[in-house]
Amino acid sequence: MLLALVAAACASLAYGAVHIPLGEVIDTLLGQKVPEASRQIIEVLRLPRTVEAIVVGAALGVAGACLQGALNNPLASPDVIGVTAGAGFGAMLVLLFSPASVALLPISALAFGLIAAAMVFLIGFTGRGGGNITRIILAGIAIAALFSAATAGLLSAYPDRVPNAVFFLVGGLTSSDGWDTLETIWPYLAVGFVIAAFMIRPLDRLMLGDDVAASLGSRPRLIRLTAAFAAALLASAAAAIAGLLAFLGLVIPHLVRLLGGTRNHTFVIPVSALAGAALLTAADTVARTIAAPIEMPVGPFLVVLGVPLFLWLLRKAV
Amino acid sequence: MAPGRRTAAFERKAPLLEAKEVQVTIGGEEILESASLDLRRGELLAIVGPNGAGKSTFARAFCGLRRPQGGEVRWMGVPLTELRGRKLAGVRAYVPQRAQVPTGVTVQAAVNIGRSTHLKPLQGLSGEDREAVRESIARARLEGFEDRDLSTLSGGEMQRVQIAVALAQGAPVLVADEPTAQLDLGATAAISKMLRELVSGGMGVVLIVHDLALAAAIADRVVVMSHGRTIATGTPEAVLTGQLISEVWGVQAELVHREGRSALHVEWLDQHQT
Repeated sequence: MLLALVAAACASLAYGAVHIPLGEVIDTLLGQKVPEASRQIIEVLRLPRTVEAIVVGAALGVAGACLQGALNNPLASPDVIGVTAGAGFGAMLVLLFSPASVALLPISALAFGLIAAAMVFLIGFTGRGGGNITRIILAGIAIAALFSAATAGLLSAYPDRVPNAVFFLVGGLTSSDGWDTLETIWPYLAVGFVIAAFMIRPLDRLMLGDDVAASLGSRPRLIRLTAAFAAALLASAAAAIAGLLAFLGLVIPHLVRLLGGTRNHTFVIPVSALAGAALLTAADTVARTIAAPIEMPVGPFLVVLGVPLFLWLLRKAV
Repeated sequence: MAPGRRTAAFERKAPLLEAKEVQVTIGGEEILESASLDLRRGELLAIVGPNGAGKSTFARAFCGLRRPQGGEVRWMGVPLTELRGRKLAGVRAYVPQRAQVPTGVTVQAAVNIGRSTHLKPLQGLSGEDREAVRESIARARLEGFEDRDLSTLSGGEMQRVQIAVALAQGAPVLVADEPTAQLDLGATAAISKMLRELVSGGMGVVLIVHDLALAAAIADRVVVMSHGRTIATGTPEAVLTGQLISEVWGVQAELVHREGRSALHVEWLDQHQT
């Protein structure tokens, strides 16, 4: 999986509207002397984008793995805790309502993604019987519906600005933002990844049932809340960078479990990070080279690449 | 089964477990009115009683899985309220009634998870931990099953895995809620023998069990529960009399118990109705 990621990253740096030989790519990364034009393209345009693809893919893979483990539900993805719908609304608010302040888009997407998740947690985890999985999932669906409706409302209020919004809604990376977005968002990603790493063992315990986890001295409700919080951070941050790519969060952990034949989070969480990064980087490379010089949003390509692979594994597994 | 370095505050001479007048209210309803028991080292204590008497609720309360509204619980002299996380995991292991059986988890992986209470976050299993896991698997008679997926096991095998996971915790007390409830005769006997072996090794075992004949045969003492109260405690012969069975279960029955064999002679149908 690491090899796949390295290959995808190299391809992502080498291919594009202008093809740069792999040797020059490696030389640039190692600080060797290369033609100035190639260096410019790689350092200013491609490297930030490749890094974005890697961190977003990893974030969504880990977010999905955490949520599926925490909610013990194979259908869980950042959708079910409202993050996707919230982030979508946050982005639309900026893009449609005040397009002039587009620089605020990542922050707004991140903030609303987290607000939506906070609402779901508030309803799902507090009060009597709080922490019940069905309640969390139903609260998530309701809150997601609320934000989707608000987004739809915005879209119909500003029909002339909708084309700007499509790129975000289907999910896509851009080269124009350089390192800026990453510089704003990285602390959220870092915190999310660190919490996720510490949740590996608790999630393993939860896998054997709430009572076994409690016997081992853990608190199942706290594990669920913390793991879901890490997922909310990662998925919101991912949406802030790359728009709505929730499909990745749903499918990657399944791919990893099917390929690895194990559900242990010690395996699933780190490998989901690698697999998510590899798949998104590969899909993004395809997306911007297939109809070059036009760059397509990566979301649909991700689905086109991911679905056949997923369906093939699904059939093989049973 | 040494309690280990984290149990410095525990009193060596205190009973393993002491629960006094434990009270639990769920949703405004008093499920447990007043339940008490004590567990000594090297003892198998059976909690018996009709369905809904509060056996499982009592066990969950003294194991720290559910907060009691009243009463006092002490583990080796230390109040339950002062025990949390790894420290709580170090005094008792709880084997739930129904196991969650995930696919894609091997027996080895499950028992490794049981050992994780001995590790710091992000720390891997040491050689000593691996040895403890191997020993737990051996004591639960699961050698040769290490690489089997949990979803491929029979009910009896899965129950032994549950016990192995609990043993890997390395706690001096094992609390098991109806471990034999859905098992056939052979599997029930296997689990019973295993539990007796643990007791011979110095552990304390609390067993919630429906089968009075089984309780009489394997328990050192029994605690009888009825309507949220513990109403009698003592050796099976002293406590499980025909009169008590009639009062608590409403059935005419007589316990026959000699030389390690036991049977419950039950008057299933009232004579005058047949």
